[in-house]
Amino acid sequence: MQASVGDRIVIRGRRAGEPNRDCEVLEVHGPNGSPPYLVRWGDSGHETLFFPGTDATVNRAERTPS
Amino acid sequence: MQTIEGVRRSGVGIGPERTIRDAAAIMEHTGVGALAVIDGEDLVGIVTDRDLVRRGLAKDLPANARVDSVMSAPVVTIDAAADLHDAFALFRTHAVRRLAVVRGQQFVGMITVDDLLINLAADLVDLSRPVTAEILFAHRDSSVQATE
Repeated sequence: MQASVGDRIVIRGRRAGEPNRDCEVLEVHGPNGSPPYLVRWGDSGHETLFFPGTDATVNRAERTPS
Repeated sequence: MQTIEGVRRSGVGIGPERTIRDAAAIMEHTGVGALAVIDGEDLVGIVTDRDLVRRGLAKDLPANARVDSVMSAPVVTIDAAADLHDAFALFRTHAVRRLAVVRGQQFVGMITVDDLLINLAADLVDLSRPVTAEILFAHRDSSVQATE
């Protein structure tokens, strides 16, 4: 997986009825956009390191050309 | 199959100085039952929901106690490139339900007994497919007459 600061990562719910969860990438700690990422979780504001598995997908942040 | 390919769920890591209240809230919000405790870049322990109950709540630790006061260490690890069968062997010889998957010293994910069971179930389905087909669609004689 590759991500950039500002991207959102969505983790699919594991069981029927379990909601998806999402977090925002604050820092990229690996080379060339690779994990781990420092992320902030949804509304809770908790910051953690995140190591994506096969249940995670990246939603790219819209970037305005400079 | 490499162990890293068997990791189904994303891993979450926190620093050892974080509180057990934080750890519980993060578990609730992220839906994971175990957090990797990471100091700098080094994996120093694992804290599970069970650790929070048995070593935190049951021992009357305050909610602002550090995570490293209840974590399990040392951690049983497996290399990300190791064959998945090596994970089976580690589960056989250690009384754990999770293994930390590492590259060198760096944590990259967590593999659980559940992950292996799901992989195993998928393998069994694949294996049973031809047998099921054979039972449901029994062999028929060829419609082409044999020639002398």
